[in-house]
Amino acid sequence: MNDGPLIVQSDKTLLLEVDHPKAEAARRAIAPFAELERAPEHVHTYRITPLGLWNARAAGHDAEQVVDALMTHSRYAVPHALLVDVADTMDRYGRLTLEKEGLADSAEGTRLVLRTTDRPVLEEVLRHKKIRPLVGERLDDLAVVVHPSERGTLKQELLKVGWPAEDLAGYVDGEAHPIDLQQDGWHLRPYQQHAVDGFWHGGSGVVVLPCGAGKTLVGAGAMAAAKATTLILVTNTVSARQWKDELLKRTTLTEDEIGEYSGARKEIRPVTIATYQVLTTRRKGVYTHLDLLDARDWGLVVYDEVHLLPAPIFRMTADLQARRRLGLTATLVREDGREADVFSLIGPKRFDAPWKDIEAQGYIAPADCVEVRVSLPEGQRLAYAVSEPEERYRLASCSDAKLPVIEKLALRHTGEPTLVIGQYLDQLHEVAERLGADVITGETTVRERQRLYDAFRTGEITTLVVSKVANFSIDLPEASVAIQISGTFGSRQEEAQRLGRVLRPKGDGRTAHFYTIVSRDTVDADFAAHRQRFLAEQGYAYRIVDADDL
Amino acid sequence: MATSSRSRADDIRARTDAQLVDLVLARPDLARPSPADLTSLAARAGTRASVQRAVEALDRGHLQVLEALVVAGDGASVTDLATLLGGADEAVVASHLGDLWTAALVWRAGDGEHVVRTVPEVFGSSISGLGAPLAELRPDLASRVPTAEELRATLAEAPDDSRAMLEKMTWGPALGVLPTGSAGRTTARWLIEHHLLLPVSVDRVALPREVGLVLREGRLHRTPELEPPALDSRGASLVDAAAGGSASELLTQVDELAAMWGADPPRVLRAGGVAVRDLRLTQQRLDVTAERTAFVVEVAYAAGLVADDGEIVPVWAPTAEIDDWPSVDAGERWATLALAWAGSTRAPHLVGRRSTGTGPANVLGPDVQWPAIRGVRRDVLRELATLDPGQAPDASSLRDRLAWRRPSRSAAVLGEAVEAVLREAEWLGVTGRGALSEAGRALVDTAFPATPSPIRGDRGGTVGGGITSNRGGPVARRGDGGSTVGGAITSNGQTRGEALHAVAAAMSAHLPAPVDHVLVQADLTAVAPGPLIGSLGAFMRLAADVESRGGATVYRFTPESVRRALDAGWTSAEVIETVRRSSRTPVPQPLEYLVSDVARRHGQTRIGGAAAYIRSDDEAVLDTMLASRDLAALQLRRLAPTVLVSSADPRVLIDLLREHGFAPVHEGRDGTVVHAEAPKRRAGTRRRGPAPVVSPVDLETTRGLVESLRAAEATAADRRAEHDQRSGPSIPATDPVVTLALLRDAVAEHHGVWIGLSDQVGITTRHLIHPERVEGGRVWAKDDAGHERTFSVHRITGATLEG
Repeated sequence: MNDGPLIVQSDKTLLLEVDHPKAEAARRAIAPFAELERAPEHVHTYRITPLGLWNARAAGHDAEQVVDALMTHSRYAVPHALLVDVADTMDRYGRLTLEKEGLADSAEGTRLVLRTTDRPVLEEVLRHKKIRPLVGERLDDLAVVVHPSERGTLKQELLKVGWPAEDLAGYVDGEAHPIDLQQDGWHLRPYQQHAVDGFWHGGSGVVVLPCGAGKTLVGAGAMAAAKATTLILVTNTVSARQWKDELLKRTTLTEDEIGEYSGARKEIRPVTIATYQVLTTRRKGVYTHLDLLDARDWGLVVYDEVHLLPAPIFRMTADLQARRRLGLTATLVREDGREADVFSLIGPKRFDAPWKDIEAQGYIAPADCVEVRVSLPEGQRLAYAVSEPEERYRLASCSDAKLPVIEKLALRHTGEPTLVIGQYLDQLHEVAERLGADVITGETTVRERQRLYDAFRTGEITTLVVSKVANFSIDLPEASVAIQISGTFGSRQEEAQRLGRVLRPKGDGRTAHFYTIVSRDTVDADFAAHRQRFLAEQGYAYRIVDADDL
Repeated sequence: MATSSRSRADDIRARTDAQLVDLVLARPDLARPSPADLTSLAARAGTRASVQRAVEALDRGHLQVLEALVVAGDGASVTDLATLLGGADEAVVASHLGDLWTAALVWRAGDGEHVVRTVPEVFGSSISGLGAPLAELRPDLASRVPTAEELRATLAEAPDDSRAMLEKMTWGPALGVLPTGSAGRTTARWLIEHHLLLPVSVDRVALPREVGLVLREGRLHRTPELEPPALDSRGASLVDAAAGGSASELLTQVDELAAMWGADPPRVLRAGGVAVRDLRLTQQRLDVTAERTAFVVEVAYAAGLVADDGEIVPVWAPTAEIDDWPSVDAGERWATLALAWAGSTRAPHLVGRRSTGTGPANVLGPDVQWPAIRGVRRDVLRELATLDPGQAPDASSLRDRLAWRRPSRSAAVLGEAVEAVLREAEWLGVTGRGALSEAGRALVDTAFPATPSPIRGDRGGTVGGGITSNRGGPVARRGDGGSTVGGAITSNGQTRGEALHAVAAAMSAHLPAPVDHVLVQADLTAVAPGPLIGSLGAFMRLAADVESRGGATVYRFTPESVRRALDAGWTSAEVIETVRRSSRTPVPQPLEYLVSDVARRHGQTRIGGAAAYIRSDDEAVLDTMLASRDLAALQLRRLAPTVLVSSADPRVLIDLLREHGFAPVHEGRDGTVVHAEAPKRRAGTRRRGPAPVVSPVDLETTRGLVESLRAAEATAADRRAEHDQRSGPSIPATDPVVTLALLRDAVAEHHGVWIGLSDQVGITTRHLIHPERVEGGRVWAKDDAGHERTFSVHRITGATLEG
């Protein structure tokens, strides 16, 4: 019997014992094809999925390497059926290829062809009613013409039927534009460099890094590698401004080269930062700003917070398959389960690292996660018990029993930059009033927001009460305490984003604090348990304390 | 030597003891029940049923030689046979012929080998697609049967389309339908005129055997296969480790099954078996495929670990053996399962299959019973055992080999069964990565030892006709309830205990070592990095949900699972303490919080059953009731100051309370007072039958009775007189098998036979008959006067040849 650190389960999960001396070697061996699912303190769980295996094939690993990695590091014999399944699944990738073919009499000189080495596979997929309309003329038994505009949709559909196509058609270089990193007094961290390299070699794909680990820099690094005009898609205007500031600071780009395309401004420049919102704006059923995508010959498209990518953008992305695409996110978990679309349209995951590893390297702050449970007073318990199911979460999470706890916590961390994050505006205003702090909600103007953020950054104010507008992409360095008082039900990615608010490394190496206040014995606690699972799975042990014990 | 039966009997009588042993080993059914003497052994060996079994048990090589001998006719030389078999090696043919003689399917006389007469009957009219001989089809042409040369000459003249028509029928079937078109008719007419085809009905023609053989160029089989096809194999590594992994997984699954069915046993369907819904629940719990679930359930059943509890509403529940199960060494547990599997006559792969006219077969149901599967298992495992260790067979070549060995089985059914056996062997750990594991080899040696079989190439017994062999059987034959027959002797002479230990020892070394700890993590999961020792495994299954299985097990603590443990009587402190003791890692605070939080709410509300309540605003009245000794029988209990409950019926309660001076009224469901009305009961009207008729014993009936008695007596006397007058030899009572054989021989040899015949009232009369055919338990014969008569064989008390 082998004494490896890995245990291969029959349900295709891999358990990795972290404290085992050979754990690192095993992790490196399985990382290319297995998805890290959970990373608690002692045993990490990876999962082998078809997507993961195809990812590995796309990255040039073959089934033999996968089987070998499993057999070498496994403690017990690997179930034979699983190995067969791995080989079969990996064998499905690459039977179909998308190629560009030179053609003398065509206007463009080339055409896109779906080619196979295995005729039955082509026959099978061509008989699918969703695939049939996407292809054109049949060239011979083994090849069929594909209209360039259907490249993305076709890949998406092929993945759905289990025959992922290997896209060998390559990328257009786009309009060249000199971009370089200005590494004066700072350098890309090793993992950022790995992420950039991983992306660049793969052509397209997604980089997964925890909040605060410097995803923007990975984007900048990718731009420097591409040296081409770039379209950056972000979630909102504030985020767009921050991207702009960061790019100005870290790259050779100047103010004139960076444009903002949002509700307020419509600038198209060599590097353009647009919001999802403006792209998805429709007037009379037509996406009015769709032209932006073709406004320039973009060499690189960056998707920030790819886990939030709205469905219409997916559709638009299907048309952008000839351009390099980089997705950035803290978590690939999509609450809508469209991970497969991210794979087929943006690309496979190119880089991923457990949060705790990056924390251990000192690039993100260590965090202390605490759940504080408050008991509802008698009257509220009764009101809760008889309320409509859809009202329950609001009732439970907005209980005023939470107010004294918030005050107590704010008091304990007086002087430290503190964020109070919530979902319901009434509750936020009430809290702000009691703490004497300012509130940022969707109604707050951009200018006001910027002012408050700046004040917070400089330490002028230490407490901010924010709604979910602040969930994403606001860069608040030195926020070291976050108090979560209500959220979007059981959303795990929201939890990840909120924890991210306090994970940016602190100047003095302080531990960050992340508090969640929940009402005992209500759906609030159930949702909290669901959200916390994500933290625990990222290796963040949390404690549960009773409000009275604070 | 008057008849062939005599000669065959003489052949058997002349055999040495060793040869007789070989005969009985080759045809074990001859030994059950034990024959009285060699004559009845010989007779039994010639019966159709026994010959059929013997023929079905032949592999394709022996079968082809036997077919060749039937076609070539008695006394054919080995050279002739070899030619008929496409120029086969004469030595092989001779050796196969020797095997057939050993099995008494062929007997030897001075003029060479003869086929036992029943063999052609078993084969039927078509042998290897060849039609009946010309003489049989057209007795009038019997004298003018053309030679092969003549036929060849005729064929050479045949027009092309006629020849093409013949070629279609060459390799069978030898019966064809006449074409309807005029061109086709002309073609066929030419053939019929030249006696190359013989019309057998209005629109059907037959190809006579002689013509068929010429068309086949003197060969009987398209592809003579005297030797078994080669078994291809490939190397497999880590066989024993893989087998150990599967074995360990199976043990875990059986434990989980027992835990699940122990707590919530599925109902036994009226037709037997487990409902589809229950199986699906079990499948969800075990988290494996439906096929595998069925396999686990059936193996547990075969090993006697679960059974029908036989109650009025019967359920499938773990047997008492499950209580000792966890303390048994893992190797032995596995050996018990593996031996039970090897000996089981149940085929789990049939679960869910629709047999004709019924719904899908249910697991543990009667439709899954298929005794032939044991023979398939034996064949497959023995073939695997012939390969070197670490060699896995190529599935299709294994199928070909088994199809060769069992030519009488449908290839599709056999192929499916072989696939199922291979799959199950892999799940069980008998094989690992397709190759027989060390433990698997031990299992084959124990359960299916290679017996010194007289027939080369067939080391097994018979598998035909759905009856399995009496040899090579399971280690312990299990009854329907699956209980172990203690002290049974296995085929290779070991006791059950020895067999178990031998198999267990071979597996023990490869089973993952049991672990006594788990790793508990902050996400409320606990990982057991190997199979857990019994008690800890049971605790983890109780207090946490299994999330992932395999070499390790991942458990997740949830509020529900912790509640389950509390329900089972654990306290929160005990749960935490057990986790702390068994965890290699510190117990995370959220887990402790979870346990105490669930414990806090556990039992906050309580539910019990009561048949009646008493409520009164006057607490003093209730106090009096509680204090009253006379009301003790009501077992009153106070729930609240103004409420008492009792498990007695409300009506009884009212009566008793009234008796003791209280004045209760009955309260309805809606809280209103119900005014008691004395219920009036009525029984259903009884249906009346017809009045009995009495017939007294009077003078008239008595006279009638005496008269009939006298008449009967007279008839009996007449019969006796008649019997004494009759001629013929005395006929000893003979065994029906012997009688039948004798009658058959008489038919063949046109002999007269004296038979004793008993009539309806049991009087035996003697008759001299000339039997013409014996069929379906009847004899058609001509009596002395030349009248055709039929006799039922069961009425014939004995028979002896005339003269």
